[in-house]
Amino acid sequence: MRNLGNPHRATDGVPITRRDLITAAVSGAATLFAPVVLGSEEESFKFGLTPVFLSNDLELLGHLRSYLSARIGGRIELVTRRTYQEITALLVSGQIQSAWICGYPYVQFKADLDLVATPVWHGKPLYQSYLIASADRKADDWAGLKGDVHAFSDPDSNSGFLVTRALLAENRQLAGSFFARSFFTYGHRNVIRAVASGLTQSGSVDGYVYEVMRETEPDLVKQTRIVRKSEWLGFPPIASPKSVANDRRVRALQQALISMQDDAEGRKVLALLRLDGFAATSPSHFDAIAAKVETVRQSG
Amino acid sequence: MKLLRRFRSIPVSYRVPVLVALLMVVISAAISERVLSRLSRTQESFLNGLAETYLDGLSSAVVPAVLRADVWEVFDALDRSSASYKSLAPIETVVTGSDGRVLAASDPNRIATYSELSADYRNRYGPDVVTIDEARLTGFAHRDLVYQGQPIGTIHATFDVSHLFAERREILVTLLITNGVLAALFALGGFVLVRQMIGPMRVLEDHMRAAAHGAAEPISHREIPAGDSEVAGLFRGYNALVHAERERANFAMQLAEEEKLSSLGRLASGMAHEINNPLGGLFNALDTLKTHGETPGVRDTSISLIERGLAGIRDVVEAALATYRPERSQRPMTAADLDDVRLLLKPELRRKRQRLDWSVAWNGARELPIRGGPVRQAVLNLLLNASAVTPEDGTVSLTAMSWEDRLHIEIGDQGTGMPADIAGILIDQDPGPAVRAGRGLGLWMVRRVVDDLGGRASIAAKRGGGTAVTLTIPFDREDTKAHAA
Repeated sequence: MRNLGNPHRATDGVPITRRDLITAAVSGAATLFAPVVLGSEEESFKFGLTPVFLSNDLELLGHLRSYLSARIGGRIELVTRRTYQEITALLVSGQIQSAWICGYPYVQFKADLDLVATPVWHGKPLYQSYLIASADRKADDWAGLKGDVHAFSDPDSNSGFLVTRALLAENRQLAGSFFARSFFTYGHRNVIRAVASGLTQSGSVDGYVYEVMRETEPDLVKQTRIVRKSEWLGFPPIASPKSVANDRRVRALQQALISMQDDAEGRKVLALLRLDGFAATSPSHFDAIAAKVETVRQSG
Repeated sequence: MKLLRRFRSIPVSYRVPVLVALLMVVISAAISERVLSRLSRTQESFLNGLAETYLDGLSSAVVPAVLRADVWEVFDALDRSSASYKSLAPIETVVTGSDGRVLAASDPNRIATYSELSADYRNRYGPDVVTIDEARLTGFAHRDLVYQGQPIGTIHATFDVSHLFAERREILVTLLITNGVLAALFALGGFVLVRQMIGPMRVLEDHMRAAAHGAAEPISHREIPAGDSEVAGLFRGYNALVHAERERANFAMQLAEEEKLSSLGRLASGMAHEINNPLGGLFNALDTLKTHGETPGVRDTSISLIERGLAGIRDVVEAALATYRPERSQRPMTAADLDDVRLLLKPELRRKRQRLDWSVAWNGARELPIRGGPVRQAVLNLLLNASAVTPEDGTVSLTAMSWEDRLHIEIGDQGTGMPADIAGILIDQDPGPAVRAGRGLGLWMVRRVVDDLGGRASIAAKRGGGTAVTLTIPFDREDTKAHAA
């Protein structure tokens, strides 16, 4: 799952309505009291989300919880954290039953995880990583970005870190020496903000997030340009730990995701995410990412 | 001093408004200075408070990120804070790490991350929270970031303070306009008020000026303001003065007339006596002629007697005519004028059995360039006075001599001396008081003649008793020239 921006931080230009507040308050209260109230009942289903959403995170959370709750049954707890790493750790350790993670952590922990579903964007469960620079930058290709201060999204992000690192490795370059300096912004939206403001000269960003933001925040995206698009790679999937493979709710979740476009509430979620739907994919769908991990590992 | 004198010469109806306006300017300058200085202090303390709040808020937001040297988190905090502190109008905020290098600036395009801050930038802060650069209309503030007693970085903030100066300018302009309008209004009010106040004084001044040139007219009732008791009192006082003066003048004129008639009576009786004396002789001569006319010796003697008697009568009549016919008074003075006076005085002297010491030292000219009539009048009056105060069998004297361009006439008596108030009529600058008391009208006429001729009178005590009055009368100027030529 990609990190589109921290819902608790990315307040810019996002008006919070009363409905959002009520939704948040209700969900927050439910989160606090759920273990006490449910007690001996079936434990609530915890679905992890990396700081993900596009424009109106609280609205999306509300619809998603409502949809999943209706389809899976029982109580659904949506778990969000600041970094990919935190969500991946919770998932791998079995503290949450399922999570939308990135392809990179998935291939790293492939042995411990099952694929539940992969989002379909523009008809395919694929996306790209972009190297971006400010709109007035003359660089024609990635090599022109040498010596930049560079913004990465997250050390566990495929599109926001691994792809660029692998590209440099393939060309016998190290990120530490190719770029003058680099740092992580922990959000694809933040990468775009850093490049647009001039804080960094270039950045590595999720192509899906970039394209959607071109629609939702055109003024911000307009200040940047794409220097390089990567090959098409497996879209960040929803995975669950093998330890809960027999949990009915995981299968229910898979069904709920794959049939999301058949439901009105589900379509609202898809519309907010600008996705076509979800599809079941095989682990080999992420082999290209695994190859990049290997390239990076070999380059040291 | 010259300026002050010139200012004092400006009429009061302009001077007061100008003073009021100047006073208003001074007051408004003082008030404006106080207001602006107070405003400036208030603005600065307000700005300091805002800056402190801004730096406090930003410090707590960026300290963890600065500790980790997390560029993005620092930038994110700066980016979000700029929207939260709009009233402070931050232009630029820069956070540096412990090594002094920039971690993030609110505008990374201007100040790049990881760059070094210029010395100017680091040394631009004064002792206050906010240092204001008036030329660039900006304020600067900085805050050292301290964690567990260790300095970990600094926040440098630049604010737009142009709105403070705009506000000051706006208030200054408002003050100037308000005070200017007030000063103008007060000056106008002062002008109108003073004009109104001195209006009655103008009326009084006009009347007094007219009075100085002759006719003292009372102020008409229409011009006396009904409500203003002070001015009305003043006007009524002036009118009372005019009426009293008129009454006194009438009284004096009446007295003068009476005095004139009285001297005329004395003269007439003297003249009658003078004519009567020869008349007895004339009738005797006529009787003698009737009785012994045939005798040639007697007839010739009688006719001669009648002739001399008639000649004496003719002289007296001619002297009286010369003295009291105005058309003759404009003639230049001759020795005959004094001889006429002597002739007119004679009966009075005889009545009192007084002697006249007569000494006229003429300079040889037949005529003197002085109007003869008034001099005769004055000398006759003085001699009549001298005769009146001199006891019987006493001596009255007249000494006249011309000297250079003036005529000196001294009249002496053997009286007991002239009282000071009566003497004042002749010699004081203002002969008024004695005249107004209705005394010494003969002397007053002398005084008027002397003044009219541009001369002066003096009084001195004579050795051996008595008083000498001296008239010094200058020759008429044009005649003097002619005489000199």
